[in-house]
Amino acid sequence: MTVASIHASMIILIAVIVAAPLVAAAAVAVGMSRTSLRTPAAAGLALSLVVSLGITWLWHASDGAAFEYGERLGGGSLIHVDGITSVLLPYVAVVELAIILVAPKRFLDAKATVRSLLSAAATFAVFSTAHPLALVALWIATAVPTWMSTRGTPGGRPAARVFATAMLVAVVCFAVGTALMIVDPPWERNAGIAGNAGGWLVALAVLIRKGIVPFHSWYPSLYSGAPMSTALGATMPQVAAYTAVRLLIGHADHGDGVAMELVVLSQLALLTAVYGAALALVQRDLRGLIGTLAMSQSAMVLAGLAGKEPMELNGALCIWISSGLALTGIGLVAWSIESRAGPLSLATPQGRFRDAPALASFFLLFGLAVIGLPGTLSFVADDLIVSGSLNEQLHAGLMTIASTVLCAIAVLRGWFMVFGGPTAIDGPRHLILPRERVAMTGLLLPLFLLGLYPAPLVRSLERAAGQLLGVPVEEAGNPPPSLQESSSGS
Amino acid sequence: MNGWGIPGITPRIAGAMVQDWGTHDLVALLVVTQLFAPAATLAAIGLPALFGRPFGERKTTRLVGAGFTIGFVAGLAMLVVLAARGYAAEVVHLGTWFSVGHHQATIELVADGLSVPYVCFSTGLCALVNAFAGKYLHREPGFTRFFVLLALFGTGMNLMVLAGSIDVLFAGWEFLGISSALLIGFFHERPNALRAAVRAFTTYRICDVGLLTAGVVIHRAVGSGDFDRLFDGTWPTERCLLPAGTAVVVSLLLVFAALGKSAQVPFSNWLPRAMEGPTPSSAIFYGALSIHAGAYLLLRFESLLDAAPIARVLIVLIGAGTALHAAVVGRVQTDLKSMLAYASMMQAGIIFAEIGLGLRVVPLVHIVSHAVLRSLQILRSPSALHDRHELEAALGGHPGSGAWSLRELLPAGVQRQLYRVALDRGFEEMAIIRGVINPVWTLLERLAGLEKAWTDWLGRSPRSPRPGRDGGLG
Repeated sequence: MTVASIHASMIILIAVIVAAPLVAAAAVAVGMSRTSLRTPAAAGLALSLVVSLGITWLWHASDGAAFEYGERLGGGSLIHVDGITSVLLPYVAVVELAIILVAPKRFLDAKATVRSLLSAAATFAVFSTAHPLALVALWIATAVPTWMSTRGTPGGRPAARVFATAMLVAVVCFAVGTALMIVDPPWERNAGIAGNAGGWLVALAVLIRKGIVPFHSWYPSLYSGAPMSTALGATMPQVAAYTAVRLLIGHADHGDGVAMELVVLSQLALLTAVYGAALALVQRDLRGLIGTLAMSQSAMVLAGLAGKEPMELNGALCIWISSGLALTGIGLVAWSIESRAGPLSLATPQGRFRDAPALASFFLLFGLAVIGLPGTLSFVADDLIVSGSLNEQLHAGLMTIASTVLCAIAVLRGWFMVFGGPTAIDGPRHLILPRERVAMTGLLLPLFLLGLYPAPLVRSLERAAGQLLGVPVEEAGNPPPSLQESSSGS
Repeated sequence: MNGWGIPGITPRIAGAMVQDWGTHDLVALLVVTQLFAPAATLAAIGLPALFGRPFGERKTTRLVGAGFTIGFVAGLAMLVVLAARGYAAEVVHLGTWFSVGHHQATIELVADGLSVPYVCFSTGLCALVNAFAGKYLHREPGFTRFFVLLALFGTGMNLMVLAGSIDVLFAGWEFLGISSALLIGFFHERPNALRAAVRAFTTYRICDVGLLTAGVVIHRAVGSGDFDRLFDGTWPTERCLLPAGTAVVVSLLLVFAALGKSAQVPFSNWLPRAMEGPTPSSAIFYGALSIHAGAYLLLRFESLLDAAPIARVLIVLIGAGTALHAAVVGRVQTDLKSMLAYASMMQAGIIFAEIGLGLRVVPLVHIVSHAVLRSLQILRSPSALHDRHELEAALGGHPGSGAWSLRELLPAGVQRQLYRVALDRGFEEMAIIRGVINPVWTLLERLAGLEKAWTDWLGRSPRSPRPGRDGGLG
């Protein structure tokens, strides 16, 4: 393929991936499909998934060069596709499609479906751009449907208020910070105080939107008050992490050490990873458990992204995908059971194993995929991030290990509390539906396949991380620099 | 160590390393068969069960049994080949799992004087327990689940034993931990079983920190987790290649990792509770294989311990302390499985002490003999009363207990004190609960409460009435 044809194809594919959910939303809004709202929604998102795989293939076909199109402002262009985009777009598409497939029938009214699809389209757009102003607009576009959906849920208004407060502050910080960074780019040599202030404001916005301590309260609150689809759709793609990649990490001066903003982000993220995992241990309901686990894992992603080592960045991107797929799976299993049997407490064993054995199996497999079972992608991710962070700073490595240990205990305790315990022999049976099985299998397959054969993904991410950090990809098999020095010395 | 390769899997690497194609191919094939036979049965029975089409009892038992039997036969063949070659260690390199920069996770297996006899013994025992469990768990809800977890355990055990790199060993170690916890909680309708499973898993995960960190330190020190970069020579006469300081750090981390799986003081209190699981899994895990995983780990890294005398002293002290603790506490247990759990713990403690003293073959022989005897005792434990009645019928009365005991030499006051200590399980559990678990749990619950109060305050409606002076937070 010629360069021109690749560019033309890429623009068309990016347009289709965003337009497909919008068209589906329009079809649902005008009532074109009265019998089943799920069909057009799933069709639109399935098309987005296929197109996202096409984008990945096209990026690889173009030898991994970053593709940029449109006005370039503040260091990013309107359409930007690189290694990170090529991995994250299919991931987001799988998550969004799985949510729509599993959504219980009574939740899937026209309004909820349209909101989900609009949010999905905005998320696809986020992951296709590096333009700062476009990112500001898309932050708003992704937050509004979440707020409306939470607000419309019975008992969800307090969570909607917490979410709105956090997002309002985050968007204002992001908008002002971006404006300052555009006026006075902090990554240029003659940057003034305005540019640096802009960088700090964007970092603050990222902290809030990612639910990092001390701005984390909206995260578990959203899981408690919003429909599961809304909470998962708002948190699993990790829009703020992507923004940090484009606006902070991509511009940090990695030659002389990362920018101060990244150091602060990294340390607070590490603290959040441990704190969230510790809180997960004492949660009294399943939604609280999922919310705190999501908070911890999301912070781990940021901690890795803000690290200096390419290995950490690679591990962070792996955790982004593995924890996202696995926690989406756990959330969807929880939603399936809740829709049949009501809220799930962790205060006493709920005894759901006998009622829902297939859902119990899926929950366990997703749980094992969160805690780093060998053979799953999270094992690879944990290995990379722990090795990378221990190479960089001892305390970072120990905090990462502590977080993984606490998460694992919380997940297994959660599984035993939900599915263990006495069961009424004549109680109702909650058989898994075919669409639920398809969605959950679709989430599990990449977790296990990429866990058993992670080399292509890791290589692809290594190249993307190298591009982002501006460092050449090291040859595998060489001993670490310290050893090279010592051996040459001897 | 000689290099080994598998044509068709890693021809490039194999081509570079192979010296004697005929025998090498055979051993490589045997090692891979040994490893993949239980893994294949795990997939074969696990996937249909996940998709709602589990096999019948007979087919399940036969499939898992076939996997273990094939592994056992492959192990025996490997043993013959190795014996003929004077137990020279052979490395089978299956390729690089993934690599980032200088960090490489390789899939490397090793067949030597430690791994091959051990893997024969472990797969053979798994095959026997599989046959026993097929009858014992007949019509038990969760029949397929048990065998899936048994196959997972077998796969993990083979990975751990045959590991030629710390990455592969850690993968097997994790499989052991998760299958153990899930089997302790097998009877999920019993709250005690759930608590015991969470307790065991918590202990495992805390101690796994040691192995995980040791792996990272090794990678950082030599750029790879492969054992042939750590050791020079063949087990049991190999020599450590790590610098002395690193060897001490890694040894201490490995000792910490070993304590959890082998239920050594102060991480021993999960073991008696782990007997909540089905009898066949108790036999294979806590009578035979899982309980000795820590000892195997230390044996595998024996040459590192040579460079770390402090680690050796620690192992002897912990092992002897555990043996003494288990011997005292085990005497007052009122149920047979708890008594057997403490007996296992005591033997594991003695094995630790032997390893600490620098013995290599003696602990291996001790492990095998203890595992065979203890698993037989645990498998027979449900029939203990029946056996007793048969014995009484044969003798025509009570057999009596005329055995002399060392206890009788102690003054009555000391005996009473010891009895009290034994009843409270050496105060080990109480100390951990009061000193660690309760304060941490209380702190976390308070933090969770503060979080909720803060979120409630943030989410309050601006139009809702403010709480009055007497209303507190409302």
